[in-house]
Amino acid sequence: MDTTRARRPSATALAATAALLPVLLALAAPLLAPADPDAGRLADRLLDPGTPGHLLGTDGQGRDLLSRLLWAARPSLTAGLLPVACAALAGALVGITAALAGRATEQALLRTLDVLYAFPGVLLAIAVATLLTPGLGATVLALTVVLTPAVARVAFTETRRIRTAEFLEAATVSGATRTTLILRQVLPVVAPVVLVYAGSLVGLAIVYAAGLSFLGLGVPPPTPEWGAMLDELRPALFTHPWLAATPALVILAVSVAFNALGETLRGRLAEGAETTR
Amino acid sequence: MTRFLLRRLLLAVPTLLGVSAVVFATVALVPGDPVTAFLGPGAPADARAALAERIGLDRPLPVRYLDWLGHALSGDLGTSTSAQRPVADLLLPALGQTLTLTGAAFALVLAGGTALGTLGALRPRGWSGRLTGAASTLAVSAPQYSVALLLTAVFAVHWRLLPASGTHDAFGAGGTGDLLRHLVLPATAAALVPLGLTAKVHRAALSTVLASDLADGLRARGLGRAAVLRHCAHNASPALLTIGGLQLAYLLEGVVFVETLFAWPGLGRLLYDALTARDLPLVQGGVLLVATAFVGVNLLVDAAHAAIDPRVRS
Repeated sequence: MDTTRARRPSATALAATAALLPVLLALAAPLLAPADPDAGRLADRLLDPGTPGHLLGTDGQGRDLLSRLLWAARPSLTAGLLPVACAALAGALVGITAALAGRATEQALLRTLDVLYAFPGVLLAIAVATLLTPGLGATVLALTVVLTPAVARVAFTETRRIRTAEFLEAATVSGATRTTLILRQVLPVVAPVVLVYAGSLVGLAIVYAAGLSFLGLGVPPPTPEWGAMLDELRPALFTHPWLAATPALVILAVSVAFNALGETLRGRLAEGAETTR
Repeated sequence: MTRFLLRRLLLAVPTLLGVSAVVFATVALVPGDPVTAFLGPGAPADARAALAERIGLDRPLPVRYLDWLGHALSGDLGTSTSAQRPVADLLLPALGQTLTLTGAAFALVLAGGTALGTLGALRPRGWSGRLTGAASTLAVSAPQYSVALLLTAVFAVHWRLLPASGTHDAFGAGGTGDLLRHLVLPATAAALVPLGLTAKVHRAALSTVLASDLADGLRARGLGRAAVLRHCAHNASPALLTIGGLQLAYLLEGVVFVETLFAWPGLGRLLYDALTARDLPLVQGGVLLVATAFVGVNLLVDAAHAAIDPRVRS
């Protein structure tokens, strides 16, 4: 038992470092990017990785790929992180309300969630995003709609579990108002579960966001964005396969890092729950 | 059993109605006025009114929804603006191609997920357990479009081993062998995420059963490892069924990327082309078809679940 205890924090720390790295690179993009991400010379188009002056090569318009990937981290990560934060808030609100409200409200909310659940995630995101002008806002809104039902279900289940708990009865008996009850008693129990669950969705959200951009529903060109870069480099796939595969590899690596972090966090939460129950 | 199925079917009706309402809304609420788009901004008011009346835009939204739903139920999903053909005529052949691809991917998901999950459950703390665990996490995190591009770069362009577009060679003999060769890369790209999830769920379920009294009892009666595993795998199968069904539904959404990148002439590719051309009736029809299939698959999974586990029915 002792060995696993000693091992766990380091696994989380490792995953956290891996997930923090792209965030730091995004913040430091102006310092690190060797060139202007939007300026390209057509004479330098589609240079292979390793060309002097262009570490990762250049795209079809001769723009430096490394600089574009670094700058792209900003909208790409925002489009993944922001919807998760919004969905955590909205999902907690809906889930707790459904669990504590009367039967009619509960049924109405749960049936609405069922309808949203009936859509495959990517398709719902596409449906919502087509309604809006392509851009970061559209991606964030579309992904919030996609992610909220899952978070709400977790919040609902967790609130339901404690609804009849003695500490809630005690608080009610001692005269706590509904608001105090939710803020002081329910949220402290539900929030960690919701946050960890939402955290485990970040990798997925980043993948979805890049996917929407790939489909042309995200940030419009020439702003660098990972998914849009995939689409821009696609024509070069059969002549310059490694160049075209670079953004794909970046998204994969970032997704692995965030999913590994989410997994270790969930593991720790489950472990904590076992020791307290 | 019949009552259970009927109840589930009835429950699916409001869900499907909600789905259709959302799909309808995505087109009805889309910014931009179709009349202006058709006649131009300077058109006289009476011409605008006449067109609006002819295509039914002067009626209230709920009436338009019911009208649209009635047509959709009879198979009339409108006319594609880019192809100038009925949407249903475009969707049906594409559906067949998508089912071929998802079928192949689903076979990979079940075989790979069970194998990876079983290996992990047998020695969870050994190197094989850790390795299969890491492999599952990697698979779960691998976006279909990334995998598709990487597979193409390695197997189709660099090594020239496998074809990376279409369903058959243009000048080949064709046939099943050719189709299978064309299926390898797209099916793998589509399968990885669901395969990883299936492996994780199967591993967890099988580990629980292997640590239970049932397994101890079997071992105490002198059964060999293979026999114990066979019995335990049977008891862990409901979890596999549930997650497998969910993954089948998940495969339906992943095909948008996989089919686009491998030029597979299915629903996903059709949807991508429709999005690029802003062909809203086709987008609407495609989303409706896939979402309906999604609900249908979930229903089938519930039915299968009830068939093998009587506790679910009550």
